Amino acid sequence: MTSSVLMQAIISGILVGGVYALIGVGLTIIFGVMRVINFAHGDLMMVGMYLTYFLFTQLGIDPFVSVIITIPTMFIFGGIIQKLFINRIIGSLPQNQILLTIGLGLIMSNSAMLAFTSDYKILTTSYSSSSFNIMGISISQPLALSFLITAVITLLLYWFFMKTDTGQAIRATAQDREAAQLMGINVKRMSIIAFGLGASLAGTAGALISPTYYIFPQVGSAFTLKAFVITVLGGMGSIVGATLGGIIIGVVESVGAVTISSDWKDVLVFSIFLLVLLIKPAGLMGKSST
Amino acid sequence: MFKQIAVVATVLALTIPGVSQASRVKLGFINTITGAEAPIGENLTNGAMMAVEDLKKKGIEVELVKEDDTGKPEKALSAFEKLATRDNVAGVVGPYTSACANAVASQADKYKVPQLIPAAAKEEITQKGFKYVFRLNAPADVYSSVIMDAIMTQGKPQTIAYVYANTDFGISTVKTAQSYAAKLGIREVANEKYQKGAPDFRSTLSKIKSLNPDLIFMVSYEVDAITLMRQSKEIGVSPKAFLGAGAGFTTAQFLAQKEISDHVFSSTQWTDDVNWPGAADFGKRYKAKFGKEPTYHAACAYEALRIMGETAAANAGDRDKTRAGLKNGSWKGIMGDVKFVEYEKFTNQNRHEMLVQQIQAGKYETVFPPKYATKKAIYPFVRK
Repeated sequence: MTSSVLMQAIISGILVGGVYALIGVGLTIIFGVMRVINFAHGDLMMVGMYLTYFLFTQLGIDPFVSVIITIPTMFIFGGIIQKLFINRIIGSLPQNQILLTIGLGLIMSNSAMLAFTSDYKILTTSYSSSSFNIMGISISQPLALSFLITAVITLLLYWFFMKTDTGQAIRATAQDREAAQLMGINVKRMSIIAFGLGASLAGTAGALISPTYYIFPQVGSAFTLKAFVITVLGGMGSIVGATLGGIIIGVVESVGAVTISSDWKDVLVFSIFLLVLLIKPAGLMGKSST
Repeated sequence: MFKQIAVVATVLALTIPGVSQASRVKLGFINTITGAEAPIGENLTNGAMMAVEDLKKKGIEVELVKEDDTGKPEKALSAFEKLATRDNVAGVVGPYTSACANAVASQADKYKVPQLIPAAAKEEITQKGFKYVFRLNAPADVYSSVIMDAIMTQGKPQTIAYVYANTDFGISTVKTAQSYAAKLGIREVANEKYQKGAPDFRSTLSKIKSLNPDLIFMVSYEVDAITLMRQSKEIGVSPKAFLGAGAGFTTAQFLAQKEISDHVFSSTQWTDDVNWPGAADFGKRYKAKFGKEPTYHAACAYEALRIMGETAAANAGDRDKTRAGLKNGSWKGIMGDVKFVEYEKFTNQNRHEMLVQQIQAGKYETVFPPKYATKKAIYPFVRK
């Protein structure tokens, strides 16, 4: 195997990892603030994918441009779900929370199946299979674009959490819900914002992956698992950790496929996952709970 | 209760032959109606429904009990048990996928219910000597041999790379392809199994690109075929020919992706431009009814249900007689000549002649065998 093949694998791994990171960051924000593991995360992504599909086929809006519409729409959708359902189970037994989010996911995917049938929807843009070359390494145009958008969103998010009052309030809620409440932070509102953010990030990931992947009602389940692995790997609740986790998974999958074999890549991913958990049980960036 | 009715019906059927319900027959149809394989399953359902209509025109009223296996063998098994014991069907057509058909085949002899498999390719299904299991379509070995035969008429490829889904169909097809390629003296340079539905094949494809094989042989369902070809273009993989073994490479959706699907070869059980009786007419009627091109799955399901329906009706729904009817009969229809025979390791296997098609200018054209060809093959592959 030549070094250019390896380089190619690393670069496409990083690019794909960027989108994985976006899914993971959404999940980690929700967990951080509410201590609820959102098993409907992949299904939220699926909703974002269908949204993108219809914006493209009905209104002719380019998938990457449509992110501007997907983000607020998914934010509102997530906020409503939080207010109506998730809010009621904050602080209750974990298994109840899991059941609720799994149930919400099932309702979403099966409603999508009822409405759009189980047919695969394929979004064909003029650049779906375009690429450009840098030093003999071909870089997928849609993937590069989505990586760029992911990077911008992640930076904005970082700024939001570090610099704005609301962002700091959310962080405070994540650190200690009761203490935050005592300090006069409206934690219920923060939860709605956090879930809204998580949903819009999942939806955005769906939108970004649409031009190169395909859309069907059950598409979410595979990504829920991936998001979960990424989040745990990076440390639950850590945004930097989830970003790192996403990129690591992307690169391991891709390099694993060229060095060993493509059907072994999942084995590799989960071996690394277990290894990290053995050495650092709280995840790469996680603070061990005290 | 059901048993009593069945007994009464059997007694009636035996005592008054001829007057018995020769024109009414109850059949089971197991298919993937939901789940990941549902888009291909839909073609089978459509084909089967057309067969029911056509049988009605011939005076055979088919009561079709449809069961969904969601692509899972255990669901297919329970569906079959229900059909055999509760619905008391005369015979079963299906299931679609190799894994499901294989699971059901192991039970057909136990329940003594004739099973006719329309489109599952895994070889071993008809190699275990089951008496009640029949298969209409050609098994996996033909998917690979026919397409390599077609390529050998075009040139002398030296090397081959395999990229395939790690499903029953993928693995068994590639296994036969490997031994056939070895016989032809084509050297294997890569063997890449992948997880069905994977979003990223780029690293695998760039590895293959660096090995520069003459042929790339792919076995993929549905949209994986599109993802693979999209990323092949992206990476710039350019062999002398892309070979697709049926399934995902023969769908209307794949055809619609003009940018990436042009000049891809695929083996298929059926096309609407061969001169098998009624094939063209079936294609036309199907398009009028469902608004899209029929895939070979539709034709396979149609013909399987027609054969099962006619045979079961002629034998008044008696399972053993229907089995004998399938065993001894021969048919001529949209899939050409059909006869269930023993050869090599196979039993009750129709020696169906497969075709090779190539996408040329946004259309599937039959290019092999020569007697069915509508266009000349374009070889080697050139990326525009």
